Amino acid sequence: MKRNFWWVLVIAPLLTPWARAVKVGESAPDFQAIDSNGLQQKLSQYRGKFVVLEWHNNGCPYTRKHYESGNMQQLQKEWTGKGVVWFTVISSAPGQQGYVTAERENDYLKQMKASPTAALLDPQGEVGRLYSAKTTPHMFVINPAGVLIYDGAIDDKATTDQADIASARNYVSQVLQEATAGKPVSTATTRPYGCSVKYAHK
Amino acid sequence: MPNLSLFRLPWLLFVSAVWLSTPVRSSPNPGDKHVKVELVSEQDALVPGKAIWLGIRFDLEDGWHTYWINPGDSGEAPRIAWRLPAGFEAGEIQWPYPERLAAPPFADYGYQHQALLIAPIRPPAQLKEGQSAKIAALVDYLICQNVCIPGREQLELSLPVKNRAMSSAARDLFNTTRSRLPRPAPRDWKVSVISLGDEFLLDLKGQQLAKAPQFFPLQAELIENAAPQQTTPLPGGIRLHLKKSTHLLQPIARLRGIIVLGPEKAYLLDVPVSQKLGRVRRART
Repeated sequence: MKRNFWWVLVIAPLLTPWARAVKVGESAPDFQAIDSNGLQQKLSQYRGKFVVLEWHNNGCPYTRKHYESGNMQQLQKEWTGKGVVWFTVISSAPGQQGYVTAERENDYLKQMKASPTAALLDPQGEVGRLYSAKTTPHMFVINPAGVLIYDGAIDDKATTDQADIASARNYVSQVLQEATAGKPVSTATTRPYGCSVKYAHK
Repeated sequence: MPNLSLFRLPWLLFVSAVWLSTPVRSSPNPGDKHVKVELVSEQDALVPGKAIWLGIRFDLEDGWHTYWINPGDSGEAPRIAWRLPAGFEAGEIQWPYPERLAAPPFADYGYQHQALLIAPIRPPAQLKEGQSAKIAALVDYLICQNVCIPGREQLELSLPVKNRAMSSAARDLFNTTRSRLPRPAPRDWKVSVISLGDEFLLDLKGQQLAKAPQFFPLQAELIENAAPQQTTPLPGGIRLHLKKSTHLLQPIARLRGIIVLGPEKAYLLDVPVSQKLGRVRRART
């Protein structure tokens, strides 16, 4: 296990196509990361399923809006219940807001009754930079063929106010409803809103 | 404390332990807001029927910023909801040109240190001299340093009604702010935009153009905010290369934004976009 982990650290940056930005309609770049249970998760092993990526920072007021209201957990529950794979991705660098150890993250998931398929720990920001994840939250949806079909905000109310959730149009639900019904995605990109992702300073 | 039974105590301890173990809580202490937000007036009194300029002033602690109308890659622009007495009318907020706040590989647009967002307010003509009127604004805003803190404040200002008004202490700040508002582009300018490949080519021809102007789009998700805006010379002008946002999936009809040539030289652009097929060829002269 430990050897595997170091192998990932050394090799992953070499395989990462830094210069290429992800784009809706194109194939979602593969990545691997260790989750909060110590398991290695690889995007391509979920080919055949819809995959949601949710960028996360537990101290960011926009993330807190969607967790303290229970909105994010409800989405996770609903869509993982329908066979969708949901990765919460934490790209905060050590010392930055939102950085967590595996143990802390598992406590948080329990406390918040959150149920993503896995919470991926990305303290080097490799997965985040690969996807150009800008904010927390920033949501991506990948279809069973491995094509990126959504890149943007969680909903259309760019505020920190929980009261706005009820009247917001949730883009992630909309995309998944449309795509799982075999319909074209009506809104495929939006401006993600939130705090900037707290990457390591380079 | 009849409710706090021994049965409940372990549960409470667990909850508080989890709460305490959660890193950085972003709720600010009341005395540690990092920003002072005030409603200020350019004049010391209201004159019936005559518009007056009011502003929301942000005094930010060093290192903190708030956001422009297009906040860029993250953040949120302040929202101002006026609460005016009957018969009063408010005009649109005027946004001074922002600073590009680079946080590679991304960039935001906003203000550091101090910002004033101004709007005209017109009291009704029937207002009686000798009275006073209370103007209020509900302001929602976000400030960020390394972390972000949202704020909401109900600001109030009472002004007497007189037949003549004098400048207030905030007058200079209003003038400074006005000098930073984008103005209509000079008449002798010729501006055009070509959509070509993954770039918008913004061509500016006219007098006194800066070598390296900065373009700020009014709409989000049009360009890559952090991409360098390379300029190449054109006969009688310059060409600005703006990298399209990867989120831009449809062609756009117009490019709207402001171009900043230097301190206090910002101009509003609203230009039709002509579509060109083919690959980008760098202009050379």
